[in-house]
Amino acid sequence: MPQRVAVLSRYSGVITIYIILAPLDLAVYGGKLRAVLTLAIQQLLTKKLRSGLTVLGFGVCVNLYIVVTTVMRFITEDLDLQVQRFTGVLFVQSRGLTGLSGIEWPPISSTISMSEANAVLSDPAVDQQRSTMVSFAALAPPPYPTAPPEALLVGIESGKEDVFLNGAAAIAGVSRFSAQHADSEAPPAVLGVLAARHFARIASSTTEVPSPVGPIALAAVGSTISVRGTEFEVQGIIEPETNQLLRSAVLVPLEHAQSALQTPESVTALLVSPKRASDIDPLQATIESEHEELMVVSDRQLAENARQLLDRVNQLFDVVRWTSVSVAALLIAIVMFVSVLERTRELGTLRAIGAPRRSLLSLILSESAGFAVAGSMVGVPMSRVVIRKALGPDAAGLRSREIEWGAAGILSLCSMIAALMPAWRAVQVDPIIALRYE
Amino acid sequence: MSDEQNESAASATDGAVPLLSVRNLERIYRLGEQTIHALQPLTMDIHEGDFIAIAGPSGSGKSTLLQLLGLVDSPTAGEVRVRDRSAQHLGREQRAALRLGTLGFVFQAFNLLQMLTARQNVEIAMALAGTPRRKRRKRAESLLASVGLAKRLEHRPLQLSGGERQRVAIARAMANEPDVILADEPTGNLDSQTGREIVKLLEDLNRAGQTIVMVTHNLEVAKRASRLFLMHDGGIREVDPGDPRALD
Repeated sequence: MPQRVAVLSRYSGVITIYIILAPLDLAVYGGKLRAVLTLAIQQLLTKKLRSGLTVLGFGVCVNLYIVVTTVMRFITEDLDLQVQRFTGVLFVQSRGLTGLSGIEWPPISSTISMSEANAVLSDPAVDQQRSTMVSFAALAPPPYPTAPPEALLVGIESGKEDVFLNGAAAIAGVSRFSAQHADSEAPPAVLGVLAARHFARIASSTTEVPSPVGPIALAAVGSTISVRGTEFEVQGIIEPETNQLLRSAVLVPLEHAQSALQTPESVTALLVSPKRASDIDPLQATIESEHEELMVVSDRQLAENARQLLDRVNQLFDVVRWTSVSVAALLIAIVMFVSVLERTRELGTLRAIGAPRRSLLSLILSESAGFAVAGSMVGVPMSRVVIRKALGPDAAGLRSREIEWGAAGILSLCSMIAALMPAWRAVQVDPIIALRYE
Repeated sequence: MSDEQNESAASATDGAVPLLSVRNLERIYRLGEQTIHALQPLTMDIHEGDFIAIAGPSGSGKSTLLQLLGLVDSPTAGEVRVRDRSAQHLGREQRAALRLGTLGFVFQAFNLLQMLTARQNVEIAMALAGTPRRKRRKRAESLLASVGLAKRLEHRPLQLSGGERQRVAIARAMANEPDVILADEPTGNLDSQTGREIVKLLEDLNRAGQTIVMVTHNLEVAKRASRLFLMHDGGIREVDPGDPRALD
C-alpha cells in the first residue's frame, strides 16, 4: 500500500493539473471557456453558504487524508530507522506472557536474571565491547500507537552507550556518560529530545530551543531530574534526527537504573553483537538452545515484526484515508446533484438557446473543480496546523509537498469522477422544460 | 385541417425561400392507452419579415407548435425546414447548434439566469456561439440600450421589474442575430400596460426587419401581428388580423 501511495504521490502533480484542466479543456474545445467559467463562478458565489460549507467539508477531508498519510509515513520511517539502528544486533528478552504471543518492542516487561545475562554474554562468539545488558522501563505513556513511551528509561552498562546510540551525537553536552560522573552526587543521564521535554516540568533548570512549533523548553544540561525517586544529572541531549526510540530515551548507567527500578538482580534485555557478522545466526541458535527461557530476536525478525505491526496500523489508517476520499466524493456528488435539480429550468434554458451538452458538462465539472481547488486550499494549511498540534516537535521535517499534492490530487480526482453523475444528469435535461410554465 | 386551409397557412410570399416552414407536421402524445393528437397535420411557411401570432385557448396545441418550430421537440410525422433544409434527421447537438445560430427564444417566465447581470445574460448566448468577448460585450450593451435598459446593464434579474426582465430576454434572443424570434406568451406574466410595451417592442423589432413568431392566448395582443393563425384542438387556420369577424 505505501508503494501505491508513493506512485500516486509521484504523479499527483500531473493528476491534479489534469483534473483542474479537464473541464477547462472541454470548455476551450467548445470555445466557451469564459462563459462557462463565469457561470460556474457566479453559481458558487450566489450560493455562498452552501459553497462555503462544501469547501470546508472538502477541506476537512483533504486535511484528514494528509494528516493520516503523514503520520503513516512518519511511523513507517521511524520504525525503519529503529530497526536499521540495530542492524547486526541480537535482542535477547525473556519469554514472558508477551513473548509468547510475539516480540515486545521495546522489551519493557521482560525479566532476565543477572546470572543468566552474564551466561549469555560470556559466550565466546559474543563481542563483549559491543554487547550490553539493558534495563528498559516506561516513564510516560506513548504519544501515539506503535510509538515507544514518551520517556523511556534505558539503563545501559557504562562505556557501552554506543551499542544503543549507534553513533548518535549530542546537540548539547555529551552523548556518553562523562568519566567524572562518579565524583558527582547524582548519577549521569543522557536524554533524548522528547524525554528532555517531558522532564522540563520537573528539571531543576530548563533551556529553550527553537522548533518548528516554536520554542520548546527542555531539561537543561547540568540540571537534575528525578526518576522513580532517584536524582540524575542531565549530561547531554541527543540529536533529534534519530528515531522515536532515541528521542524518548533517558539513558542512565545500568546499576542506577536497576536501583531506581528496584531490580538489582535482573535486567529486561540484552543487546548482543557477534564477533563476526556471519556468526549472528549460529549465535542466535546457541543462545536459544542453551537458554530456553530466553527469546532471541534478530534484526530481520525485528524488521518483520515492525512490518506486521505497520500493516495492522496501516490497515486502520487506510480505512480512515479512504473514508475521507469517499466522504469528499459523496459530498461533491450530493451538492452537485442538488444543484442540478434546483437548476433544471436554467439548464433547460441554456439547452433551449443552443448550449451544447459539452458546455453543460463543463459547467458542472468546473463547479466541482472549483470546490476541489478551494477545498484543497483550505485543507492543506489546516493539515499543517493539525500536524504541528498533534505531533509537536516531532513535526519537524514532516511536511511533505508530495503528500499534500497527492492528497489534493486523489481527492479531487475521485470527486470529479463522482461529479460525472450529476454532470451527466445535467446534460440530459430536456430543453422543453424551459418552455413549460407552471 | 384541409389542404385548402394548409395552402392558406403557407406563405403569401411566393417564390422566396421561407426562413422556417413546416410540412404536414403532426404531433401525437401517448399516455398509456390514451392517444392525444396535440397537433393535426399542418403546413405553414414563415418568411423573412413576418410577424406571426399563433393564438388559441389553452390546450389548442400552440405551445406544441412552438416547441416543434423551435426544434426542441420532434414531430410524430412531417418535418420542419429551416431555410429549406430539413431538420428531421438532425441529432440533438445539431439541433442545438441550429437553435443557437438561427432561432431566438423569448419565454413566458423570462428564464433569465438569476446569478448573472442583464449584460451577462445577453452575453451568454453570444459566448455559447463563440463570439469574441469584446465584441459580445459591445453588442450586449447596444442591444440592452435598444430595449431601453442602457442604465440597467449590471442589474441582476431580481433587481428588475417583470417588463425589464422580458426586455432583457428579448435582447438575449436577439444576441446572435437569429433568423426568427420565437416568443412563447411574452406578455403572459406581465400587467396589461407592460404587456403592451413589450408587444410594441416586438413590433419595432419587426419593423426593423426581424422575423417574429409569437404564441399568445391574448387576442388583443395577437391582432397586432401581421399574420395571425388561430389554433383549436390541434388544428390551425390563418385569419386576417384586421378582420374583426375572423376573431369571433
